[in-house]
Amino acid sequence: MKPKQHFYSFSAYRRSAVSMASAVVLSLPLLWSAPAQAETRGYVISWFATATNNPDFATNCPQAFKDPGSRFATTGKRRVDHAFVNGKEVAPYDYPDALDKDPNVETVIGKYAYGFDLGGPEATKFQDPETHEKVDNQLWRAVGCTTNFQFTPPTMPYMEGQAWNSGYADSAPAWTMQVSGDDLSKDGPVTITLDRALDHLQRDALSAIRTHVTYVLDPSPRSHNVLQGEIKNGVLLVTSGDVWLQGSLPYYLQIDLKNTHMRIRSETGSKLVGYWGGYTDWHKWAYMFTSRCGAGFDCIGIYRSVKKLADFAPDPKTGENQMISIAWRMEAVPAFLATQDGKLLATASSDALGGRLHDTVAANIPAQ
Amino acid sequence: MKVRTRGHLLISVAGVLGILGATTLATGQVAPVSPPSDTDMATSLRLSPSQYKLAITDVFGESIRVDGRFEPEMRDQGMLAIGARTENMTDSSLETYDNIARAVAAQVVDERHRAGFVGCKPRSDAGRDDACAYAFFSRVGALLYRRPLTTGEIEGRASAAGAEADKLHNFYSGLRLSLAEMMVSPQFLFRYKRMEADPTHPGQQRMNAYDKASTLSFFLWNSTPDPELTRAAASGELNTNDGLKRQVDRMVDSARVASGVRAFFADMLVFSDFDAVSKDPNFFPRYTLSIKDQAQEQTLRTIIDHVVGRHGDYRDLFTTPNTFLTKDLASLYAVPFIDATANGQQQRWLPHTYPADDPRGGILSQASFTTLWSPSGRTSPTVRGKALRQNILCQRVPAPPGNVDFKFVEDISNPKYKTTRDRLTAHRSEAMCAGCHKITDPLGLALENFDSAGGFRSTENGVRIDASGETNGTMFDGPLGLAKVVHDDPAATACVAERMFAFETGYLPPKTESGWKQIESKFAASRYDVLELMRQIALSDLSYRSPNTKPAPARNQ
Repeated sequence: MKPKQHFYSFSAYRRSAVSMASAVVLSLPLLWSAPAQAETRGYVISWFATATNNPDFATNCPQAFKDPGSRFATTGKRRVDHAFVNGKEVAPYDYPDALDKDPNVETVIGKYAYGFDLGGPEATKFQDPETHEKVDNQLWRAVGCTTNFQFTPPTMPYMEGQAWNSGYADSAPAWTMQVSGDDLSKDGPVTITLDRALDHLQRDALSAIRTHVTYVLDPSPRSHNVLQGEIKNGVLLVTSGDVWLQGSLPYYLQIDLKNTHMRIRSETGSKLVGYWGGYTDWHKWAYMFTSRCGAGFDCIGIYRSVKKLADFAPDPKTGENQMISIAWRMEAVPAFLATQDGKLLATASSDALGGRLHDTVAANIPAQ
Repeated sequence: MKVRTRGHLLISVAGVLGILGATTLATGQVAPVSPPSDTDMATSLRLSPSQYKLAITDVFGESIRVDGRFEPEMRDQGMLAIGARTENMTDSSLETYDNIARAVAAQVVDERHRAGFVGCKPRSDAGRDDACAYAFFSRVGALLYRRPLTTGEIEGRASAAGAEADKLHNFYSGLRLSLAEMMVSPQFLFRYKRMEADPTHPGQQRMNAYDKASTLSFFLWNSTPDPELTRAAASGELNTNDGLKRQVDRMVDSARVASGVRAFFADMLVFSDFDAVSKDPNFFPRYTLSIKDQAQEQTLRTIIDHVVGRHGDYRDLFTTPNTFLTKDLASLYAVPFIDATANGQQQRWLPHTYPADDPRGGILSQASFTTLWSPSGRTSPTVRGKALRQNILCQRVPAPPGNVDFKFVEDISNPKYKTTRDRLTAHRSEAMCAGCHKITDPLGLALENFDSAGGFRSTENGVRIDASGETNGTMFDGPLGLAKVVHDDPAATACVAERMFAFETGYLPPKTESGWKQIESKFAASRYDVLELMRQIALSDLSYRSPNTKPAPARNQ
């Protein structure tokens, strides 16, 4: 019996992505102005990728640890497999659900993963290596044993790093973040505002993302997000809300999070480092990853793994979960943020959030 | 002296210098004049790279590129303009100029440009046409040499072009080689201040009118005389007070005076030293390559806006909150730069005004000063203070003794001395160091809030920076306090006047003479309007006499 009807097609997804984006535009209220608060600091996202946790690789993925080749099942291998739709053989790439054998890529069985407790089932919980709190992060379970994700920050997972460094950072509109509060040097409630800019990131002399650059925000409400949070013990926390950020090729078409959680702290020089987590549409994630299946990654295997481990928002008809828990690691550096009509919304501060005053430059080396 | 170029032609520098003629562009008639004696050649100044480029643009238009790297210029008594007086022409420098000249000449006669520049069609492209070449060199030669050429000079050029055309079977190749030779001639590369007997004041000398025109033009416009100024030289108008005034007023009122102002301040502020500036990116990642050029441009734009655009008081350059920024500079200074216009273009310059409570203001707070006068990884209040004394106030700072001991300033691991001020204070405890550091350090320490790359900082190694100081009994605090001190120091206005005179003449002014005192007093009366200073210098007899001239008896002008 050949499967039919609900098989997922990547090419069909492109059309649905467009219509979903249109729906977002129509449904978002015009929440342009950030709430008037005593202080608003601006940042630009300077690093963004799947939150990996590879120090535990041996316990996470014992099979791949013993046999490194097994985590590198190639797409070439999948080409010899067969997929059928309505009795007609089709390319497994285009119809990964129709593949007659599940590649069954190894999934993470270790204890730790970065992320947040989103209220998911206890049986699938990880523990966060930093906070030791419970974590829902089925995406990491699905992909953490595959080659692409065997990298540790500041190195990004392969595909994301390629996309970021070969195009995204230097050509795609940047994502920005405003943090507003009465006194950001102290604990207390804050408002976090995410936007997309009309400028791409600027690099400094070390090819890192330059600080204190001014970004003009996209006036469209499409990527405008306002979240409520707090600074607690110097750490910025968000525990609810939705995020939708327009992305760009070659990787992140959009960041779409439900039940958004954030945990962000300041580093020297006022750089922010932290995690964003929540539930995201696994179809969209799979499209981002699998539609550019280069470098021999087992895209179909990963697709099937992510689909199987999706853990939220069951489809009323099929019962299949439509979303998967996920965590991203991010960094942000101080930036000035302004509107297109010249209004300054946020200043680039050299002070750490909730922390001590940092000097902008700590240079002091012997005379030359 | 014979100088052999890489081509086949020989040029005689002495011969070229010796054969002088006069003509009027209006009539084209050549009137022979007596060649001046060597002793008449009071001064020669080699064109600066920017003057060379602007001169080529003025003669041939903006479509002709000047490629190649010029030899570094020589600075003397604080100014390249003074060093230009003693610049010579070595084999290597001649080769450099020859390469540049050949590239320019090739463009002038290439197929795209020849119709416009040559001005006549040769009988045949494959051989000589002396009449066409003569017409070309007669016209272009006068522009390049900034005076009419003698018949002999023109014939020499046309003949050289013809010989090469015969050899190469190409009229334009001949023209190209002969033109390139003209551009390595001292008549083009140097501007002369030749003296001649003054018929209206027997027994006295005056500057040759064409050289006077060049002096004026390179001073006020940093380029070669325009047709109107050349006409005034040819007609003798420049030798009259009214005629000179008409031309000076015209030139100072022209937008082109910005080129002169720009060249002068780039020289006075020692921007040529930016070639050697580098910053350690590990400490100063925001100091990118583009900053080096933009830092200079920021200051020059600030000056042009203030001096030319607003006729502002020179002293206010040290305190003005008005400046111009690019996106990169704004990031370096950590100030917002909202450019909401169409993107996808070169970095834009936008005006910026610092708020009243901002610690930045004036050109001393700009990266062109704070980064130029700092080592790559740290600040040096001594270097900054010395630069301020020497370049802004024209005060001499003695060189350090040969056996100076830097142990206190170089040892940054000593927990007793956390800040640069601490280390310099310890260094000054040694008697042999104290004298000079008393002169330089208080000024430089006031700028300690600016790191080596021009960024603002409030602390050093966790200790709040003390930027207070005292000079000549005046207490001040921080960069704005220092700016006010410099603003109020009469040495600042005296210095810019002195340097401006040197920029025109290649000499420091005769400060004891009444003529100089008059210039200073008119500068003060104009509320230190730099354009008025330039006007007064351009009108003064001091600018057009041999530096060896003894003070002339006062005469009515």
